[in-house]
Amino acid sequence: MMTFPNVQSASAALFLTFTLAGAAPAEHLPEPHGPVILTVEGTIARTNGEGRARLDLQMLRDIGETTITTDTIWTAGTSEFTGVALDDLLDYLGAEGQEIDARAINDYAVTVPIADAVEGGPILAYAMDGKTMSRRDKGPLWLIYPYASSSTYRTEVIYARSIWQLDRMTVLD
Amino acid sequence: MSRRNRFLRGGRAIFFGVALICMVAIGFLAVEIVRDLRLLNSANSDNVQWTLSQAEVEFLEMRHALDTARRQPEPDLDRLIEEFDIFYSRISTLETGALYESLRDLPEFAEPMQRIRRTLDDLVPLIDGPRAELAAGLPRIESAFGQSRADLRDLATSGLYHFARQSDFQRISVAVTLMRLGLLTAVLVMVLIFLLRHAQNASRQTERRGHELAAAYSRLNTILDTSLDAVLVADLSGKIQQFNPAAERIFKYDAQQVVGRNIGGLIVPDHLRDAHEAGMARMRAGGERRVVGRGRVRLDAMRSTGEVFPAELALETARTGSEEIIVGFLRDISHRVSSENELVEARDKALAGEKAKADFLAMMTHEIRTPLNGVLGNLSLLEETDLTPAQARYVHNMAVSGKLLMSHVDAVLDIARFESGATALRAEVVDPGRLVQDIIDSQTSAAEANGNTLDWAWTGAPADWIRVDASRLQQVLVNLIGNAIKFTRDGHVQVEIEQVKPLDQPGAEAGLWLEIRIIDTGIGIAEADLDRVFEDFQTSGCTQDKGLPGTGLGLGIARRFVRAMQGEIGAESTLGEGSVFWLRLPVRAARAPHNADRTGTGCAPAGPCSILLVEDNEINLDLARDMLSLMGHDVSVARNGQEAVVAAGARCFDLILMDIRMPVMDGLAATRAIRDGQGPNRDAPIVALSANVLPEAKDRFIAGGMSDFLGKPLMKKELAQVIARFCSDATLAEGAPRDPAVDDPLAALKARYLDETCALFDWLATMPDDWSEIADRAHRIAGSAAAFGQADLRMALLSVETTAEAEDAAALAQAVSQARRAWETAPDPSVA
Repeated sequence: MMTFPNVQSASAALFLTFTLAGAAPAEHLPEPHGPVILTVEGTIARTNGEGRARLDLQMLRDIGETTITTDTIWTAGTSEFTGVALDDLLDYLGAEGQEIDARAINDYAVTVPIADAVEGGPILAYAMDGKTMSRRDKGPLWLIYPYASSSTYRTEVIYARSIWQLDRMTVLD
Repeated sequence: MSRRNRFLRGGRAIFFGVALICMVAIGFLAVEIVRDLRLLNSANSDNVQWTLSQAEVEFLEMRHALDTARRQPEPDLDRLIEEFDIFYSRISTLETGALYESLRDLPEFAEPMQRIRRTLDDLVPLIDGPRAELAAGLPRIESAFGQSRADLRDLATSGLYHFARQSDFQRISVAVTLMRLGLLTAVLVMVLIFLLRHAQNASRQTERRGHELAAAYSRLNTILDTSLDAVLVADLSGKIQQFNPAAERIFKYDAQQVVGRNIGGLIVPDHLRDAHEAGMARMRAGGERRVVGRGRVRLDAMRSTGEVFPAELALETARTGSEEIIVGFLRDISHRVSSENELVEARDKALAGEKAKADFLAMMTHEIRTPLNGVLGNLSLLEETDLTPAQARYVHNMAVSGKLLMSHVDAVLDIARFESGATALRAEVVDPGRLVQDIIDSQTSAAEANGNTLDWAWTGAPADWIRVDASRLQQVLVNLIGNAIKFTRDGHVQVEIEQVKPLDQPGAEAGLWLEIRIIDTGIGIAEADLDRVFEDFQTSGCTQDKGLPGTGLGLGIARRFVRAMQGEIGAESTLGEGSVFWLRLPVRAARAPHNADRTGTGCAPAGPCSILLVEDNEINLDLARDMLSLMGHDVSVARNGQEAVVAAGARCFDLILMDIRMPVMDGLAATRAIRDGQGPNRDAPIVALSANVLPEAKDRFIAGGMSDFLGKPLMKKELAQVIARFCSDATLAEGAPRDPAVDDPLAALKARYLDETCALFDWLATMPDDWSEIADRAHRIAGSAAAFGQADLRMALLSVETTAEAEDAAALAQAVSQARRAWETAPDPSVA
């Protein structure tokens, strides 16, 4: 009767490891050395010029790595996504606000509530199955929720928020 | 009713089943719906349509970047690469995403997809290559994408169509599930409605049954309350559960007082209590029930006052649920018992009165007949002496009066005996012609005295030997013929005898009716008097018989006797022309007895015999001695049994005439002594003399070893017959031996053995109660049986002896019947 893939019955294991960055609340972020893959604006405490936080891959890696193992409706099978947890990133940037306006390279835009940024919540994945994701593989950043961990992460709203080819975020009050 | 119940139960079970199935199905559907809803909720789909159209948008964006790049002299290749990557990423998503798995199975989706993918993969080296080559390759990229536009369109269209259909299916599926749910719910509701109705019915029925039960209960209580019999209900331990008002009345207890208490201590009298407890224990153990279920039993019960009264008790057990109860119905029968006792007492008194009367009659008969015997005997002796004509007339008158008195005494005795029921039929084998001839012979002189002729004849075929109570028949015929002679002058008395018709009784012996008619040409009887002639004390008004009136009992006795023999008697008469008296008797044909020649004959004069006369009454002794002497016999006398035994031991007699009632030793004892002794007369014929003419008495004498019986007063003719019967053989023995018994001592012994054994069994059949005599006689015959080679009979008789000595009536009866069988099956007696 149902032709949809039954996510609920998938017994995907979820591994969540994450390391908190012992980040010092420095006023200024260091300058990025590599290509900037994410620009964060809005009500954030830490920036590296023009009220914006420009971050390269190494900087994101330095914040702390979090891994989510899950299946998604857009990929085949179960994959291991590695990235920075959204809450870690927001903490790192000293973000204060209610929601995030997230935009993709193709100007796809979604609004993600700050409330989503919890421990065990979404990450900004930069690697899938250990490989850094290119633009053709939905890189450089993909907001991945731990879909397999709970049915609350398997709703259309969450799927819609799972923005890929993310490059800009604005933290809003 | 029960079928209806079964049907209802079955229906109910089916509906419960249906309801259960409905509920399970509804539960299942509900789970399914919840799952559907959750799936709809969790929505595996991203917005698929958006993704598909986005692919087109991104393709167009890429084409736009391409066009832009071609128009510019310094093309912005980064933008083109970015758009390429975005489009590439989108196609990858469509190609690998789990969401589109179903789509990829569709050829109309998969084929354009593969074409696009190939195009993209072909271009990757160019895109990733040096910028100069890329700039040069732009036209190539454009041409490569020429087909892709249409493919992408197909992709989107087929995808959209697919998902539209899928959502249609989903909707239909949900709709179907909901419809099923609705249907099942409807069915369930119907079933529930039915069950509700059913439950209502059941409850109504229960209510009705409740009412019925209540009515039945109150009816039962009314019955118990109004019962005249006490009704007690107790459990198996004897605890009273119910005690109805009648029980309260009879036992004088209040129900409240006794309920719950043990029945044994309350109403069972002391002397029955042990038996009661034993009975209850036995019943609890499931053993034999001696009172329960045995109907009414009579026993004693006790009131609260301690008074013990007779009661009739019926006990039944019943099962109520798991418990067994005992229901007792008890009736106070003290009134009935007391009236029964009164009745029994009254009956006993009446019986005692009857017995006293019978005893009195027997005694009187004896006491009257004995002196009368003396008078008549002496008169007949006196007639033999020389008398003057006047004296002879006086003597004759005296004799007539004496005989009349004797006949009156006999008639009264007959009636009394008959009324007391003391008479029993005594079947004998006789020749009816011979019997009638004898009577005719005896009456001929009387007939001649009245100038009558008297004769008899068979009408039709004569009958030979028949079995009939000859003495009664004789008495009846003597009476009827006597009457005919009495009331006929110078006429004719004719006796006709005829076999009328065979007795038609299935299973009976061959029998016949014997009709005897006494026809006279006498004065006749008025028709009005005909009915009365058989009544007691009916005498004819005009006696022509020398002024001798009758007692008026003769015909009454005759009718009694005939009826006692199951016969009929009647009379027809025409006044002045004569009368016919007839009687009809059922008789049985019989075989001729062995000594047929001598039966009923017997006036053959016997030669001089040696006779021992035993008699205590001097007059009778003299009388009999004189009679015998006149007949020419040699007479010895003894005055009691003791003397008789001594005399019999001294010499051999041809005949012993033995009185029964005597001092010192009575006739029976003397006879036994002679028979049991070794004297010369142990086999001599001994004839009893007795005024007791009751047939039982005669039986007793015969059983006591006597050969025959002569009633007192002694009549010369009878005496002569007896002497002729017993002595003629002896006197003729030396001349012409006729009886094989005489010339063959063994045969004589054998004959005597047979006679004695028959006599023993006949006697035993009269159920004698003299234990020692039974033992003695059985012992004696047992000894003979051994000598005659009948060992079985001997054993059987010895056991009769033993049981008689033990005075065990039941065992004796059994032993006697065994002995009888042994006798019937014994071989002919023979001496080894």
